[in-house]
Amino acid sequence: MTGSRRFLVPFAVVALSVILGLPPSAHAQKPVKMGAIVPVSGPAAAFGLGVQRGMEFAAEDVGVFTVAGEKYKVEVVTYDTVYDPGKTVAAMNRAVYNDGVKYGVIIGAGVHPPILPIIRETGFLDLAFAAAGRQITNGENPTVFRIMASSDQLYQTHLQPIIERLNVKRVATLGPNDELGKNDAKVVKTQVEAMKAKGVQFVAEEYYERGAKDFGPALLRLIAHKPDFIETDGSPTGSIALIAKQARELGFTGYFLNSTAVLEAKAISDIAGKAGDNIIALRIWAKAPTQLYAQLADRHQKKYGEAAPGTMWEAYAATKWVVDVIQKTGTFDTKKVADALAQSTYPEHPFGPASWGGEKTYGAKRQIILPIPAAILKDGKWEPFDVRTGKFD
Amino acid sequence: MKAAGFGVLLLALVTLPPLAEPYMLHVAIVVLMNVVYAEALYVIMRMGYLSFGHAGYIAVGAYTSALLATKLDVSVWLGFLAGGAVAALLAWLLGAITLKLRGIYFSLSVFAFAEVVNAVFRAFDFFGGPAGIAGVPRPMFFGTRLNTHLGFYYVVLAAAVFSLVFLYRLAATRFGFTLLALRTRDTEGLAESVGIDAARYKTLAFVASCFFCGLMGAIHGHYLRFVSPFVFTFFFSTDLVIFNMVGGLGSFWGPLAGSVLLTTLGEQLFAAGYYKSLVYAVVLLVVILALPGGLIQVPRLREVWAARRLRWARQPVATTER
Amino acid sequence: MEVYLPLLAQGLAIGVLTGILYVLVALGLTLIYGILHIVNFAHGEIYMLGAMAVLYLHVVAGLALVPTLVVIVALALLLGLCIERGIFRVLRGQWLQLVVASVGVSLVIQSIGWIAFGIQEKSVPSYLPGIVDLFGIRLPRERLLAAGVAVVLVAALYWLVYRTRVGLAMRAIEEDEETARMLGVNANRVASLSVALGFVLAAVAGAFVAPIYSLNPGMGLEPILMSFLIIIVGGLGSITGTVLAGLLVGVLQSVGAILFGSEAAYGLVFVVMIAVLVVRPAGLLGRV
Repeated sequence: MTGSRRFLVPFAVVALSVILGLPPSAHAQKPVKMGAIVPVSGPAAAFGLGVQRGMEFAAEDVGVFTVAGEKYKVEVVTYDTVYDPGKTVAAMNRAVYNDGVKYGVIIGAGVHPPILPIIRETGFLDLAFAAAGRQITNGENPTVFRIMASSDQLYQTHLQPIIERLNVKRVATLGPNDELGKNDAKVVKTQVEAMKAKGVQFVAEEYYERGAKDFGPALLRLIAHKPDFIETDGSPTGSIALIAKQARELGFTGYFLNSTAVLEAKAISDIAGKAGDNIIALRIWAKAPTQLYAQLADRHQKKYGEAAPGTMWEAYAATKWVVDVIQKTGTFDTKKVADALAQSTYPEHPFGPASWGGEKTYGAKRQIILPIPAAILKDGKWEPFDVRTGKFD
Repeated sequence: MKAAGFGVLLLALVTLPPLAEPYMLHVAIVVLMNVVYAEALYVIMRMGYLSFGHAGYIAVGAYTSALLATKLDVSVWLGFLAGGAVAALLAWLLGAITLKLRGIYFSLSVFAFAEVVNAVFRAFDFFGGPAGIAGVPRPMFFGTRLNTHLGFYYVVLAAAVFSLVFLYRLAATRFGFTLLALRTRDTEGLAESVGIDAARYKTLAFVASCFFCGLMGAIHGHYLRFVSPFVFTFFFSTDLVIFNMVGGLGSFWGPLAGSVLLTTLGEQLFAAGYYKSLVYAVVLLVVILALPGGLIQVPRLREVWAARRLRWARQPVATTER
Repeated sequence: MEVYLPLLAQGLAIGVLTGILYVLVALGLTLIYGILHIVNFAHGEIYMLGAMAVLYLHVVAGLALVPTLVVIVALALLLGLCIERGIFRVLRGQWLQLVVASVGVSLVIQSIGWIAFGIQEKSVPSYLPGIVDLFGIRLPRERLLAAGVAVVLVAALYWLVYRTRVGLAMRAIEEDEETARMLGVNANRVASLSVALGFVLAAVAGAFVAPIYSLNPGMGLEPILMSFLIIIVGGLGSITGTVLAGLLVGVLQSVGAILFGSEAAYGLVFVVMIAVLVVRPAGLLGRV
């Protein structure tokens, strides 16, 4: 091909791309954009969809509100992160720098590290859905709030009472082989070891790769130690169902514990059948704690034809709470709103009255404190097991 | 004529950015990185090797630099070079074995390498385990840390220009034509018979390609200020292959066109991740089936189609791997 | 940790069963690769479609199991023929384009799968629930069923390839295509048939493995990686090799995990694979 003609196509492509690539400029006057920077595709999609829908319901319910004499409406914009760090960075860049988004719900402890610098530099108000602890909510990130119970909080609040109530003696853990899984196993171990005097032992610890479907070998190793309680950490619906099914096939007859926010009873009982019984799920409400909770559940069912993923209510509440605080402080300045938010409480949270804590443990008051439920699966349905409010300094 | 065109482009890339918004700078940075990755892969594909594991070498570069900067407080600039060097070293060591393999065996071996790399990073806390390493710093430039998009953009631009100049020389000069001669097992034998030391050429090309991958990978890690085993995945490697195929392997500018187009297109598809995969895959299939030779061959489409029809009549059903 | 016999025996049994499942999944890939030397990356997605088909036809629409399987076989045949004609045939001779095109096809199917089937984890109830207890070793019935299907299909494949004229034609094309064509073998028909059968094998594997685990549109990725591993270790083009390699990997994973832990077992499988390839580069029973 002749010399200069060879470059014709590439240059044309580059030019076309530059034109294509220029994103529509964002001039947000009346709409206030709130970002749902969450996975809506891929394996973690259920979490993201719950957040997206919760935020949209909140936006509808808030309607038009007034700040400093001007009227505004919340507009929820979704940026799919597919739970990938690189894509999350891209999503943040687009949301913050191009679309002018200042508030949002972001899912994922695993994807927060690369965006924390952007959050700090721009003061983005991050309502984080992240189970892991200190590296996200601490004194260096004044605009980051965790709107769900952290897993430290979860186990500190519920584990010992559950063990006592069920008369458990031998605890084993089988968790995902990632930071969350390893961290939680440590927390569980500490809690169990504190109960040594009562004859409770920590007997085994195994890990599986996220996405694995065959837990046979790991379970065999675990079961060899004869546990009567297997803690499965944040295993998602598919995994816990298969773990339960395969463990029972191998002869395990004890209880399971799970701490993930999105857990479908029907899916578990479809996959595992009767084997799914006696799974205790933290964060799952078997009975609606408030009327608002039940209303939202019905609303979701009517609109989407399926049960709401567990993240919906917290996202709904966080959105409304923040708008509330914005109205009260009369500004959109995220630093001022963050300060006001941390000092406020929210009695209308669908789970029950909510406030912030964590100053001693995390160095900043950015951890939500609200009632945490535990439910147990029996015959394909969740039954209430316990409710406690995590005390968290 | 050519030089003038390039001059204008370079001028634009250097002078326009201060006027651009941070988001556009972000897109520009990602595009530049992808272009370098794709062109590095191009060198290898030109030799007839399909690599589904380039992300492994990129990850090695990224982690090397991240570790040096966070654990030993080494200057980030040195870290970039170290990233490239370590990746190149690994390529040299592994190249001896893997380049002997051909076809799907090679592809699988590089893929296995990339998976092992990520598995090792995930398994040991020294590498940060599954959480990766956060707080990877930006480089210092005369006393200021380049924390802004604009500042770092120039770093990426400089590295990209440097890399592309070298990669171009690898692909479009006599060296590059020699590589073409090594494309299949048969032609390689032929080349050897006229005195070309195939192994040396292949190794050199492979090592050079991986050096730039490592270099840019290190820069990538410092851009995100974070490295983890979940950033440089198999899907990342596949994307690079797609950029090459869509752009076309007939010219050095093919992969450039492919990366620029698909990266910017991808950035527009924010609603849901699988739309982006779908679009990439459909574009890929359309190009492979209807626009053989990729986008750069579009001006010659009629000739290309005719040639294909001619060639096709005599094809064996059992496609022998090269 | 104490390692005692009953545990190892159970592990071995599970390992063998899992290995047979791997073989079931890898069969379709072996056939297509063995005859046409085409790397069918879409294999995992066809497996996924087979599983989804059972879900929608049998579970949701209520069609009985046997007619469901008939429909799945028919659809897989059709899909295989279309893809062979539309994509593989067009790209004949271009190894690189073929591989990348099959990757493209797999991405398209997977993406459409996510959009069409949604993100919820789904399941197919067991065809044969319950456990068989054999001297204290517990074997789930549904896995035994899938293993049985695998055995039948392997036997059928052997019969087809080594005892029928069609198989003879396939082997002829694979061994020396020009001569085969000269002797009147219709290469195009062999190609179409091979691909179609490969797709059918993948879809049926999906249909029978579906109740054992759960379903989601991304479920095709792991089977294809595993299948590749197995046919490479077993030797490309050898059915026996695939069977041996599948069993080996299954047992290694299971027993290895019991003795050394899951992560180590994963690594062990890799190491063994590399060792096999170093000693016998063409695979256990492969011929170059």
